[in-house]
This record gives sequence, C-alpha cells and structure tokens, in this order.
Amino acid sequence: MTIRILIVDDHPVVRHGLKTLLEGRTEWEVIDEAEDGLQAVDKAGLLRPDIVVLDVGMPKMNGLEACRIIRQTVPECEILFVTQHDSPQMMREALSAGARGYVVKSNAARDLLAAVEAVSQHRPFTALNGHSTANSS
Amino acid sequence: MKLRILIADDHELVRRGLIALLQTHEGWEICGEASDGREAVEKAKQLKPDVVILDVGMPNLNGLAATRQLSRQDPHCKIIVLTITDTDQVVQEALDAGARGFVLKSDAARDLVSAVEALQRNRMFLTPRVNDLVLAGFLDRGHRPTQGNPPDLPKLTPREGEVIQLLAEGKSSKEVASLLNLSTKTAETHRSNIMRKLGFHSIRDLVVYAVKNNIIQVQLPAHGSNVTEPVA
Repeated sequence: MTIRILIVDDHPVVRHGLKTLLEGRTEWEVIDEAEDGLQAVDKAGLLRPDIVVLDVGMPKMNGLEACRIIRQTVPECEILFVTQHDSPQMMREALSAGARGYVVKSNAARDLLAAVEAVSQHRPFTALNGHSTANSS
Repeated sequence: MKLRILIADDHELVRRGLIALLQTHEGWEICGEASDGREAVEKAKQLKPDVVILDVGMPNLNGLAATRQLSRQDPHCKIIVLTITDTDQVVQEALDAGARGFVLKSDAARDLVSAVEALQRNRMFLTPRVNDLVLAGFLDRGHRPTQGNPPDLPKLTPREGEVIQLLAEGKSSKEVASLLNLSTKTAETHRSNIMRKLGFHSIRDLVVYAVKNNIIQVQLPAHGSNVTEPVA
C-alpha cells in the first residue's frame, strides 16, 4: 500500500531535499507540499495524508500548533517532525503536541527513511544527535 | 563541455535539495559535494570545478574563509555564497573574499539557477539589497568595496582566522593542530597570538567575537510557543 506524505517546510530547498530523499522509495508518494503551518493544516484536512513531515519554525503558524490541530482534525494522520532543533526540550514539546516522530535536520539524510518507516506503522521514532530510538510500542 | 559545479553545505538535506535544483539543467554537472569549508577547498583542488556553491555557516572552515582560500587557489573558479542573511558585514566580507554570486538560502530555489547562469556568462549575481549596497559603496568611495581583510579582523592572519573558528567551535589546541596539520605547540602559539592581538582574556571573549563577526553561527535556544528556525 502506498504511504501518502505531505511535506511542510518554509524553505523550498529543504522541501526539495526531503522530496528527493522520500521519493527514493517507490511505495511512498509525496502528495503535496506546504510552506507554513496554516497551509499544512488546510492541506492535511483536504488531502488526509498518512504522514505529515513537519518543520517546527515556520511563519504564520509554527509546526507545534499545526501538529496539535492536524492531530485533532485528521487523527489517523501521523506527524514526523524534521527540525533544526537538536533539543530534548523541543522533542518533548513535539511529542506532547501529538507527533509520533522527531528527527534533527542535520541527520535527516541518515534518519528520515527509518523514521518514516516506523511512523507509517504507528511506531515512535525519535533521534537527537548521537541518540536515536525506534520501538514497536 | 559541461559546467562543473561543486556544492558545499554541512547539511546533507540541503545538499540534496540544491542538487535536485541544479542537476536537471542541461549542460551542468554536479562534480562533487563537501560538508565543510576545508573539504570544499580540498575537493576544489582535486576536481577543478567551474563553479563552487558555498554555505557561509559551516564547521571547521566557514564559507567566507573557504571563499578566500578558493579564490587564491584558483582565481578562475567562480564562487556563489549561500547565506541566511545579507547583512552589510557578510556582504562585504563575501565580495572581498572573491565571491561573485550572493544568494539567500531562503531564495535559493528561485535564484540559484539564475545565479549560476549569470556566473557562466561571467557576470555577478547579487540580491537586490546587495546590489544597492555595492552601488552605495561605489558612489560613496568611487570604487567597489575595498579588497583586503574584513573590517573586524584587521590584525589577524588568515591562519589565525581559521584557528579562531576552530577554538570557538570548542576544539582543543591539539584538535586544532591535527585539523590544520600543525604541531600542538604551533597551534598554541597561534592561540596566544590571537588572544594577545585582540586583547582577550578568556575563550568566552573569543567565542563572543566569533559569533559577532559571523565566523561561527549559533542556534538560538528553542522556545515552543513562538519558534523561528533558520534554514539548515
């Protein structure tokens, strides 16, 4: 079954990079992109993706707020944060907001595919620099 | 013959994005990638690219210092600097260092192809704000920004500039020596000279100086309710 993914980041170059990485897997489909939290909420409601790959710091509405709303409006959709913030505090906030996964941008090339794999099976995946966790709970 | 491009950014995600932007352009070839300024200088020496695209904020050797080394190493190599900010100081340092293209990371998807095309035609590519700055400098002084050391590094040698970055990144004298192929004693001498020349008494002073002068870039602490995040 195809995993449908929405990519959300305010920087087009990062969206290009994420798309390139994700499209390496034939069973995953990047269905659309959004450049801020507000657009992410709208597109998630409309397209009902399986996974939203979400940045934290964005204009109009940040990723944490967008995550909370998407989890309420599209509860079956899983959220994977891909962010600059290599911080346990931010990771806790992201998980509290309802995210299933958390990956640091500087390690995205290493961690993203494993994270999407885990999150697509509703398993948590978190990875800060030097420490990653994926489990089947 | 294809235009050969070397891409240097410390984030692989950004490199992938930049490659995706450029590789479909007919007549262009991505000949290599580097994850810091030092690797970029080494790879440029081996690969002889026509264009190097350099992020400013990279570990070990930042993009501005790498631009200076690349310009000395191969004056024909054209350099585009990618930056998250076009402040006067970064602009002046980049142009003085030898960059001929200046693109904001946030605008890279829109501007980078045009920037490479401009350099391919032996023209410069600057953001509108940088264009205004360069013009203002020309009108004020009758010439473009002056060549030479950046304004806030008047007394330091290029090697001392490299040592400052490494020390500010938290590396020990031994690690500095290893990275720069020096003896530990020479690295310590550089460190002492830097502290003396700039009148610093602690590494803290040096780190503050490095941040203020864009030698290193730091990530601000995260605050959940109102987060802003620079591009990688």
